[in-house]
Amino acid sequence: MKGAAIKNGRMRSLIYNDNTVGHIFALPFIFGFISFSLIPIVFSFYYSFTDYSLGTKTAEWIGFVNFVNIFKDEVFFKSLLKTLQYVVVSVPLKLSFSLMIAFLLTRKSKLVTLYRSLYYIPSLVGGSVAVALVWKQLFARRGLFNTVLDNIGLPTINWFGDQNLAIYPLILLSVWQFGSSMIIFAAGLKEIPTTYYEAAKIDGAKGYQSFFRITLPCLSPIIQYNLVMQTIAAFMSFTQALIITGGGPNNSTMLYGLYVYNQAFKYNNMGYASAMSWIMLIVMSLVTMVIFKSSKLWVFSESGD
Amino acid sequence: MKKQILAFLLAVAMVLSLAACGNNDSSTETTAAADTTTTAADTTTEAESEETTTADEEINLRMAWWGSQTRHDITVEVIEMYEDLNPNVKIEYEFYSFDDYFTKLKTLVASDQVWDIFQLGGNFPMYQDKIFYLNDYIDSGIVDVAGISDSYLKITQDTEGNQLGLSNGLNTYGIAYDPAMFAEAGVAEPTETWTWDDYKNAAMTITEKLDIFGSSSFTTSDFIAGCSTYIGQYGDIGEYSFFNLDHTGMGFDDPAMLTPFIQMRADMINAGAYPDAGASTEITNIENDFLVTGEAAMTWVAANQFPTIYDICLAEDRTLKLAPLPRIKADGPSGAAIQSSQMLCVSQDSQSKEAAAAFISWFQNDPDCNSILQGERGIPVNNTVRDTLSASATPGQQVMYDFVNMVSGFEMPEKINVLSPDGQDLVQDNYLNYIQQVTFGEITAEEAAQKTYDDASSIF
Repeated sequence: MKGAAIKNGRMRSLIYNDNTVGHIFALPFIFGFISFSLIPIVFSFYYSFTDYSLGTKTAEWIGFVNFVNIFKDEVFFKSLLKTLQYVVVSVPLKLSFSLMIAFLLTRKSKLVTLYRSLYYIPSLVGGSVAVALVWKQLFARRGLFNTVLDNIGLPTINWFGDQNLAIYPLILLSVWQFGSSMIIFAAGLKEIPTTYYEAAKIDGAKGYQSFFRITLPCLSPIIQYNLVMQTIAAFMSFTQALIITGGGPNNSTMLYGLYVYNQAFKYNNMGYASAMSWIMLIVMSLVTMVIFKSSKLWVFSESGD
Repeated sequence: MKKQILAFLLAVAMVLSLAACGNNDSSTETTAAADTTTTAADTTTEAESEETTTADEEINLRMAWWGSQTRHDITVEVIEMYEDLNPNVKIEYEFYSFDDYFTKLKTLVASDQVWDIFQLGGNFPMYQDKIFYLNDYIDSGIVDVAGISDSYLKITQDTEGNQLGLSNGLNTYGIAYDPAMFAEAGVAEPTETWTWDDYKNAAMTITEKLDIFGSSSFTTSDFIAGCSTYIGQYGDIGEYSFFNLDHTGMGFDDPAMLTPFIQMRADMINAGAYPDAGASTEITNIENDFLVTGEAAMTWVAANQFPTIYDICLAEDRTLKLAPLPRIKADGPSGAAIQSSQMLCVSQDSQSKEAAAAFISWFQNDPDCNSILQGERGIPVNNTVRDTLSASATPGQQVMYDFVNMVSGFEMPEKINVLSPDGQDLVQDNYLNYIQQVTFGEITAEEAAQKTYDDASSIF
């Protein structure tokens, strides 16, 4: 009797333990993570050393052959460079744009919430196939932008036919999806104590001075967070390139994700694609590391030295 | 305490709902099956193919194809007709554009879930493991080939005589053009034996005079219809082919043979007579090809695509014509081949292979079914069906029949290879990219030819 009661008591304390409850709540995520992320990650590591193909479904161990071939592949280098260009141009543009909008929306006005929701919409729909198709139409040879140019007497631009221009509509599409970083910036802006601004005002600081001397430094941890997240997201861009340009012309919009997809599903080289993914992981880790290491130089922390 | 119990229940509910998501498929299937039972009640037509199985046994078949909107509409109509005739058969269908179809197919191959009935073209070698040969069903009479002559059965057999599927129809490549645009630009219309020089000059002049593309692009099919046909036009009939006949290597040994074709293409793109890469991506299927939209005077077609665009243009008072592919020399080989457009195959993964085979047999042989299909996939291989359809052909279809007849009159080598080996997709994409590099002046046509040759030979 007593034993059962103790057992019962242990059972209760186990169930009511915060950790247990937490784990149960996290279960759906843990399940999803293991089956849709962890297992595929482990498999892709193994496959990157094999000649696995969806067609033959045989995976023979071939050591580092995939990696050696990748470094002989001119399309690989081109797509890596183009992806870097895409990241380097689109991320700063997107961050400055979202910061600007967030800044404008800190004003006290009843419509602020409405505006924030409105500006967030592109982020919700922006990654979709539908918007990519709209974008393709807008920049087409006879699309909206060229019609406008034509009507005001300017020469039309062959966006997707010119290998130097084709990537910019894609960058613009990414900048347009500034909503999530805008929300984070807006939250960050609210956290900055108004006393700083008041003090600066009394000392005679102008608007731009208080922006660069107060807002930016106080916001720098948030900027760092957004920078890391957006850089990672930009490296993984895929939909736009697949739908809008298909990688052309002359592979000038062959974003890395698209090339991995082509190798895996179009050319039946799953092993090669897995190896490419691991190379991307290394590149992304390096870039993220650089951002973190350099953060000492530009991220301001109140508790810091 | 209550809070914790609630928390636990919520967590359980979440896990359960997650599991429920995964099971969604089966629940829709049950409703679908319920639907069929209702239709079963009012149809009493007997079905020969079901004699071997229990008549009330529910059979679910999955089928997929690629093609244009016209094809989707008529195929769905035919599937519904078959379900009415065979109340116990329920066919779930999916349709895609060409590229998406094969992407989907590859993932299904990997997961051993290929559709029971699926469409394959000349690239079947890549998927041959997944094809269930029809030989036994032909012997047992489930697949009826009485109306199909041996030579037409052969076009969908492998070298060992395995019947891979039944051909959806015959076709061959050609150039569709708008004679009114040729007249407006003052260019002579194509003849039966026109050359690539004639083709290039016509396109260039049209672009110069009318400010439209001389010719539209054939995107990825350009590799087979253009580049590969071109090689077959060298020397004597049957002397060269892009890949050799038994798919073990190249069918020609001098990369320079590709140079003139690549140079011609690059020149045309630079002159605005052929769509560049950006414009090519605007063509998503034959119905919005630049010839149809009036932005080009010519386009590449597989003969079976011609009636569709003919009808669309006729509605705008434009009458299209169809010419054979140009040749290198007017008196040289045509390089043309009469081939199977695509075929329907039964998959190894199918649970009801027999029912799938019965459907394919009906699809190719039944007169009512084909009066809806109208040879949109190619000229039917069943003799009766072909005769019936050609007797009542629309003007556009008549052009197609006459065209295929004319091309089959061309002198052709005894054996030809119209198949695509595994790995061709990469060669194809690279080839199109090399052409773009030539147009941007990054490499010369000679280098592009050499690179294409190297890529292609590295398959083997």
